Amino acid sequence: MIMKKKTAYNITFGGIGGQGTIKASELVGFAAMYEGFHVKKSEVHGMSQRGGSVESHVRFGKKIFSPLVAPGQADFLLCFQGDEHYRLKPFLKTDGVDLMGYLKPALDMIENPRHLNTALVGVLAAYLPISNASWQKALKTVFKPSILDGNKKVFRDAKKLVK
Amino acid sequence: MAKKTTLKKAFLSGNESLARGAWESGLSVACAYPGTPSTEILEAMAGYKELDVQWSVNEKVAYEVAYGAAVGGVRSLFACKHVGLNVAMDPLMTSSYAGVNAGFVVVVCDDPDMHSSQNEQDTRWVGIYAKLPVLEPSSPAEAKEFMAEAFKISEKFDTPVIVRLTTRISHTKEDVKLGKRIKVKPIKLEPNMQKYVMVPGNARIRHAFIEKRIEKMQKFAERTKLNKVEMNDTKLGIITSSVTYNYLKEVYPDASYLKLGFLYPFCDEKIKAFSKSVKKLVVVEELDPFLEEHIKALGIKKAKFKHPSFRLGELSPGVVADVINSNAKNVKKRPGRAPRLCAGCPHWVTFSVLKKLGLFVAGDIGCYTLGALPPTSALHTCVCMGAGVTFNEGLRRAHPDGKIVGVVGDSTFVHSGVTGLINAVYNKAKGIIFILDNSTTAMTGGQQHPATGWTIRNEKTKRLDLKRLCKACGADNVDVINPIGHKKELEALVKKRIDEDALSVIIAKDPCVLMKKKK
Repeated sequence: MIMKKKTAYNITFGGIGGQGTIKASELVGFAAMYEGFHVKKSEVHGMSQRGGSVESHVRFGKKIFSPLVAPGQADFLLCFQGDEHYRLKPFLKTDGVDLMGYLKPALDMIENPRHLNTALVGVLAAYLPISNASWQKALKTVFKPSILDGNKKVFRDAKKLVK
Repeated sequence: MAKKTTLKKAFLSGNESLARGAWESGLSVACAYPGTPSTEILEAMAGYKELDVQWSVNEKVAYEVAYGAAVGGVRSLFACKHVGLNVAMDPLMTSSYAGVNAGFVVVVCDDPDMHSSQNEQDTRWVGIYAKLPVLEPSSPAEAKEFMAEAFKISEKFDTPVIVRLTTRISHTKEDVKLGKRIKVKPIKLEPNMQKYVMVPGNARIRHAFIEKRIEKMQKFAERTKLNKVEMNDTKLGIITSSVTYNYLKEVYPDASYLKLGFLYPFCDEKIKAFSKSVKKLVVVEELDPFLEEHIKALGIKKAKFKHPSFRLGELSPGVVADVINSNAKNVKKRPGRAPRLCAGCPHWVTFSVLKKLGLFVAGDIGCYTLGALPPTSALHTCVCMGAGVTFNEGLRRAHPDGKIVGVVGDSTFVHSGVTGLINAVYNKAKGIIFILDNSTTAMTGGQQHPATGWTIRNEKTKRLDLKRLCKACGADNVDVINPIGHKKELEALVKKRIDEDALSVIIAKDPCVLMKKKK
């Protein structure tokens, strides 16, 4: 399932304020850094807590210039919500992977709705050339101890959703 | 034998990386008022125990405290968003004349595309206007590196130094190599009235000094490594700066570049030499034609520039080809969801009352600006911080019997609302000023301010009592009411006060719901 070696991996995330979009991109950013990649992650978070659209871009590889993914260049599109998916669809490459199909299975899998972002990153992880050790380190960095174990479990289970 | 040390890496935003760079450069004092996209600079600095950091009441105060520390002999920094710099322009203009003792850096974060701002002003012009150097990093990693240079330049040329970021650098995260903090000895403070007392006789001498300083910095601009030539294919040469450089490198990896990091004073000789060495020359910059106007003035005929439609908004990797080819802007973006007041926000109640009573509401900058959006649609002006108070007075001077009120936030009232209230009392203005007191600086993510009674490091301090302050200013009535659960009472109070021949303050007080969640 893991993609062939590329010079850069481009991921676009979309959701609305409060869904954990930025946290999801944060998790991927840390994991890529721990794996030894050069990483850039960009988002605008001025209004993110006020229910507005939230969009985040993560790019990693040997050397990354632009912090933004160009339209039609995202290898992966990870959205938490239908309207945002429609809005950000133009970012996806023609042969890119749209993770929207995993939204429902992920929702069905989790018990705590706050785990949706970790579940979808777990799905994404199945496609990325990042070791489990780096993911575990990233999970530990991003989540505080009281909620770490719950997120680790969801991350592990979500990987299995990818056939 | 020298020990091999591996430098640690961290995943830092442009703001955090800049803060780290300032800390590594031996910074001592830093001051700011919160403002997107600059807020996280001071928040990150608060994590370094060696630093003396503060949320100041406004940008003018922040600038003066930080600059005063630099004159006092320790490396200091002031940070703000672009419109925040307007508030600090008074000290900035004359600090250019007086210069520094220890290094002083002015960090300004512009917001192209106005993700969270009321205008799209381009801070690069301040360099020309105030005769100050402008540095422009292109990435979070560079933001850290440039801080070391900025302090050196400040001390070498006896000048405040402007470091300009944009939202896309401030809020981009990158893996950054961490260095160690250098030790900087404080410089002795000795009276030097010719330099620091800007009365006409001294200022005339200093004006001559800063004109010379510009010439010296022009020479420096020619040799500094901050202005970098990358010769590749000479068919296309691009002069650019900031994050735009990174967008271009993605799309035109084979082109030649003159990447400007020391933007002003301009490196004319470098620009001329580069333009001669390439076949096609294009100048690519976000917002105003800052480089464009200068390069045109240099008489470089072959230079091509962006279509004027690109003076609005951000550039991005998707549009740089159109910029290079001088095409008009043609961006089709699917619309996003607008922000709104949070569920449970006390402002909902206040705005629904103001709307029901059909009042004209003067507003300003904060979460409550969202009161202008549906469904409340009950805020009718927004220009700048503190104007909720002063616009009430101005509108009433045009309509003495108008059903007009002003609204201002608690942090904004302390920032620049209180002077307007004093003015209103002094000049016998009437009406109602609402202080929408959610006990935090909410829009920027919940920063402390004098009326919360807590410092940037969450240490207890003396709390400013807004009710007593308004009374001391001379307001005729000061009522405090929690809007949540008291809509009828609030409505009755507004109805009573609006028809009185009085200047009334209503403090609508209930803590921000996001802050309640945080706890």
